[in-house]
Amino acid sequence: MRLSHFAKVAAVAAAAVLTATACGGQSPSLGSSGAAPSVAQGASFEAGTTMEKLNKAQALRLGTKFDQPLFGLKGLDGKPAGFDVEIAKIIAAKLGIPADKISYTEAPSAVREEVIEQDRVDMVVATYTINDKRKERITFAGPYYVAGQDLMVKSDNTTITGPESLKAANAKVCSVSGSTPSEKIKQYIDPANLTLFDVYSKCADALRTGQVDVVTTDNVILTGLIENSSGAFKLVNKKFTEEPYGIGVKKGDVKFCEFVNKTLKEAEADGSYKAAWDSTLAKVSPDVPPLPAAGTCS
Amino acid sequence: MTRSSTPMIRMAAVDKHFGDLHVLRDINLEVDAGQVVVVLGPSGSGKSTLCRTINRLEPIDTGVIEVDGKELPEEGKALAGLRADVGMVFQSFNLFAHKTILENVTLAPIKVRRMPKGEAQTHGLALLERVGIANQKDKYPAQLSGGQQQRAAIARALAMKPKVMLFDEPTSALDPEMVQEVLDVMTTLAKEGMTMLVVTHEMGFARRAANRVVFMADGEIVEDASPDTFFSNPTSDRAKDFLGKILTH
Amino acid sequence: MGVIIEQFPLYVSGFLTTLRLVLIAGVLSIILGTIIAAFRVSPVPPLRLVGTGWVTVFRNTPLAVVLFATAFGLPEIGVNSSYFVFGVLGLVLYTSAFVCEAIRSGINSVSAGQAEAARAVGLTFGQSLSLIVLPQAFRTVIPPLGSVLIAMIKNSAIAGAFGIGGDLFANGVQLTSAQGYSAAGVLFGVMLGYLVLTIPGGILLGVLERKLAVAR
Repeated sequence: MRLSHFAKVAAVAAAAVLTATACGGQSPSLGSSGAAPSVAQGASFEAGTTMEKLNKAQALRLGTKFDQPLFGLKGLDGKPAGFDVEIAKIIAAKLGIPADKISYTEAPSAVREEVIEQDRVDMVVATYTINDKRKERITFAGPYYVAGQDLMVKSDNTTITGPESLKAANAKVCSVSGSTPSEKIKQYIDPANLTLFDVYSKCADALRTGQVDVVTTDNVILTGLIENSSGAFKLVNKKFTEEPYGIGVKKGDVKFCEFVNKTLKEAEADGSYKAAWDSTLAKVSPDVPPLPAAGTCS
Repeated sequence: MTRSSTPMIRMAAVDKHFGDLHVLRDINLEVDAGQVVVVLGPSGSGKSTLCRTINRLEPIDTGVIEVDGKELPEEGKALAGLRADVGMVFQSFNLFAHKTILENVTLAPIKVRRMPKGEAQTHGLALLERVGIANQKDKYPAQLSGGQQQRAAIARALAMKPKVMLFDEPTSALDPEMVQEVLDVMTTLAKEGMTMLVVTHEMGFARRAANRVVFMADGEIVEDASPDTFFSNPTSDRAKDFLGKILTH
Repeated sequence: MGVIIEQFPLYVSGFLTTLRLVLIAGVLSIILGTIIAAFRVSPVPPLRLVGTGWVTVFRNTPLAVVLFATAFGLPEIGVNSSYFVFGVLGLVLYTSAFVCEAIRSGINSVSAGQAEAARAVGLTFGQSLSLIVLPQAFRTVIPPLGSVLIAMIKNSAIAGAFGIGGDLFANGVQLTSAQGYSAAGVLFGVMLGYLVLTIPGGILLGVLERKLAVAR
């Protein structure tokens, strides 16, 4: 009985995904089908490069977030979905690897360098802010998007208007330990007022129950939380940092890095970047931003 | 305060079971102030249990137990108050192992009677003197011989100035050569007019110090008589049998 | 390993936060655990029931769940406080169950005659427990109690993840990720910090055990 019930649910879910795909990739469920970029057939790469290796293996190991709405959020099918995943699919397609040959490894903030260094993934696309300290250990391609740190408060909060107002309000601020925003916010508040959790969903819960007054991180992450709060939270909308999201690859793999940058550029030109945006982040931010200028690969 | 008409201990229609075992059957017993009652009987006759019910270390099923005219209260502060007035000496001494001999004697007067420490010590030392172990006052119980420990335990009970003293086979755990020193202390106490209920196998003590002998068998009081009458002229077969075994031994 | 020298102040502040956490939680756990142990051996049946229920619940629930309940459950029902307080509370609830059982085993190791004699001289249940039974029980309890407290020190790292932050382990995580130090070096420093807490603790308990044993 249980099994047949489950089968029915699965069938309905599958049908919903199919329908959504038929309607032009505006899947509200952020299904992993997305706007599948066309896989490069018979692509060939210079011998000895990462591209050649991956193309030959016909597999890509991706490190991404599993709990980041709109970027990388593990769905019921067990696969993460979101903008980061779509970007990875674009790169995979250029490598001649179909989307279903991508294997996913969870890469929470604290271990992103490790999974690259230990060769457990081929690349990390995980709301991964480019900074110099991280560049000592890995190489960043991109950026593919520029986020910015912002504040999220309860909808009825009027006292907090930006980072400068935090100190006067003696606001308790929540962020995720090991994240760049958690370091950044320290210059605006008394460290004793900073609460750190391992995931943002706990910060959202703490905000809801009044344990903290503010949640801070990149705006896009906050937007995802607001989306799920059914009107309880709002964005202060005062971006006070620039957080360029990069794609982490093995330290010194300049050729792969340059390949990724070239792929991003092409994706912007051929519309697959826009398609990735439309199927994910457009939900909270309809206008597709321009692709940021690529950094140097080193 | 005690009127001569009020017995110090009164047990009426007391029954007690340990599971299926009927350990006390319809016990009726009165001990007047100043009396010394020795309880005799074969092992398993319920004499130790009887002794332990008087300060409610063993609760009873039915019946009434009164000490100095007051019925035993339920477990709690009032019972603790009553126990303070009833001294008890155990077969295995049960001195507080982590306290010195003097501390053993002064602890209850200080904590229960709220006696100032200095006064309790003076009083305690006098008692240790009386039982002949004042020179052991700073030792721990484990450093003393059995006889010395039991004398310390008697001093501990006396320190509370009890109205009545219960002795639950006080010499049974002692090496033979130490029995007498404990019995001597008990005999002196009896002569001084202390109300005592003594469960023992020491016939000599019963003859010498007791006003009455109570003989128990199978949870019942079978005989209740003066020592002379009991030893020379027991009425029941069970008492005759018991005495036969003991005295020919 | 250079990170330990470079970021020494952060290690020190993390160490102090953890120290404060475990000192407060340790003292409260011992007090609460002793009270619960007293409940479990008390002559009053409802108290025994409370004691048994307490141990059953908190000894058999994962610490992370207890901490989740204090950090997220209490605010849910309108109890707001600092996460430090919630963390201490979670650790104390959890650890007290283990302290209780250690102490109860100690109480059981004291011969029944000691408690009987205490009652016979007129001490109340509370007095006989606190003056006679517990002081003798604590001696046999020190080794198992030591294990419980050392486990609690290590468990404090989990409490740190429930919003306290700034403790030894959380600072380590912050260093590895946000500041990009390699995990191996950072965690070596973190490990050293915990050892500085646990090893002298163990030595202290050993000394205490020998001291009390001599006093008998």
